[in-house]
Amino acid sequence: MKPQSMSYLTGEGLKNVWVNRMMSLASVGVLIACMLLIGVAVAFSLNVDKSLGTLQEQNVVMVYFEDGREETANLQSIDEIQHMDNIKDAVYIPKEEGLRAQLEQLGTEYEAIFSWLEEENPLPDGAMVTLSDLSEYDATYNALQALPGIKNVNGSRDVAMMVTTVSRIIGLAGFWIILLLMLIALVIIANTIRITIHNRRLEISIMKAVGATNWFIRIPFIVEGMALGVISGVLTTGLLYLVYSFATQSVNKYYPGQLELVPFRSFYLNLFGIFIAIGLFAGVAGSLVSLGKYLKREGSAFGAIH
Amino acid sequence: MAVHCPLIAQEGVIITGSLTQNPLQQPLGELPVIEFRGVYKTYQNGTHALRDVNLKIYKGEFVFVVGASGAGKSTFIKLIVREETPNAGAVSVNGFKSGAMTRRDVPRLRRTMGIVFQDFRLIPGMTVFDNVAFAMRVVGASNFDIRKRVSSALNLVGLGGKARSRPNELSGGEQQRVGLARALVNNPSLIIADEPTGNVDPNMSYEIVELLTEINRRGTTVIMVTHEHQLVRDFNRRVVMIESGSVIADSAAGGVL
Ligand SMILES: Nc1ncnc2c1ncn2[C@@H]1O[C@H](COP(=O)(O)OP(=O)(O)OP(=O)(O)O)[C@@H](O)[C@H]1O
Ligand SMILES: [Mg+2]
Repeated sequence: MKPQSMSYLTGEGLKNVWVNRMMSLASVGVLIACMLLIGVAVAFSLNVDKSLGTLQEQNVVMVYFEDGREETANLQSIDEIQHMDNIKDAVYIPKEEGLRAQLEQLGTEYEAIFSWLEEENPLPDGAMVTLSDLSEYDATYNALQALPGIKNVNGSRDVAMMVTTVSRIIGLAGFWIILLLMLIALVIIANTIRITIHNRRLEISIMKAVGATNWFIRIPFIVEGMALGVISGVLTTGLLYLVYSFATQSVNKYYPGQLELVPFRSFYLNLFGIFIAIGLFAGVAGSLVSLGKYLKREGSAFGAIH
Repeated sequence: MAVHCPLIAQEGVIITGSLTQNPLQQPLGELPVIEFRGVYKTYQNGTHALRDVNLKIYKGEFVFVVGASGAGKSTFIKLIVREETPNAGAVSVNGFKSGAMTRRDVPRLRRTMGIVFQDFRLIPGMTVFDNVAFAMRVVGASNFDIRKRVSSALNLVGLGGKARSRPNELSGGEQQRVGLARALVNNPSLIIADEPTGNVDPNMSYEIVELLTEINRRGTTVIMVTHEHQLVRDFNRRVVMIESGSVIADSAAGGVL
């Protein structure tokens, strides 16, 4: 297609947005509502993820070696653990260090009472193992247990399961919510385009009569749909910025130091990308849906125009 | 070229046959621009709009199509512009054969013809110039061509001075002349007009047909449906009469069939 035709057709599409402005305004409003919901859902899940992430990082598994093993054997096991699947980190904790840490936790008053333990340390040598993916907790736990020279493995399975379940639910719900809102966006745009098509049926009948191809007829409507989607995406990002700033301020005021929201700038570009993608998809698909029906059913150059 | 020779010879034979009763028909060996062969059209609701229509129209002809209301004239036109397809038989227009056309061929076929509507179909929000230019824009013409050709089409229909007017500032006759300019602007070899004077003051009707004959004199084939018998008599061209879906008379075939 010639660039000249392309710019003419694009111009017609943008003009439609303005000519049909009441309907454009209404559909941009609904699209913004949809996208805002997506944005809030994403921001919410990012913040939940972040707090789960802190939990997750704290969730380490303690591995204890059998008594009477050589230090070299223990270090070799650590090396082996570090190369296993789903292991983020493994730090060796000799029993002396373990005891010192525990005594420190008890506080100075008890330190003296239990100091005799240092002579006859009852603790085994161990390792602090951090998992990379908590949803694989059971498998990793069993694999660690199965290693030679391991007395036992201590971890908090419940926390692992909780974290896994919560993030799975958030992921799944987010997926369906986004899909649903995308469909709503598509229907809204399709409806707006249907009205434009109705307003432009005279032009369409002439276009058909003089031999314009269906693509030529479609382009202005696709442009209109895309424009509605993009306008909504831009406005939603701006609105979300305002809403999120307000939320951040409130959180800082009422929970100072306790809760910290993920900063807007760390995710807004991705979100903007999602909005534009949704807008473009809904715009193109919505206008094609409406046009497909129209071009098939009313593909008439001659029929009376009502 | 050699491949086509037998075809032409074949057509020649047919034409020789009809020439004996048809002195107006075109020279030997020329292929018809439009050919209907055993065409039937029955609408979804069971209406038999056309029955066994056989007709040839040659390049440069001017044909009036007449007949009572509901006779099938518009159906005949719709088959030419591929608004409808025949249920039986074959329609061939400017080399496009009804049986062999794909969906992509429809715009190609329509670019070979100019269509004039009874209800003018002018876009109210556009100037006269833009209405005519619209027909060029949507088939991808360049701005340069558009400027040049639109002006000359408007001059041809005598509306060079009204380029900036809006359709509602024009009389019915003038509006239809804009419609005519739009049908002409892409330089079609065929003009199709279904009752172009139906919404025009009777005095103005003459102007419209006058223009069509002028266009015809420059070599464009014209097919025009009309109810106005006086027009048909005064202009004395080929007349095809349709009744109850059949061609019952054709002046080119020597009158009543
Ligand atoms: N789309 C359609 N569906 C069903 N029947 C139709 C359709 N179009 C036309 N007909 C019928 O086919 C017959 C021929 O119609 P057509 O429009 O060709 O007549 P016409 O000669 O153009 O009439 P007029 O002079 O009133 O315009 C009529 O009986 C009409 O009711
Ligand atoms: Mg009719």
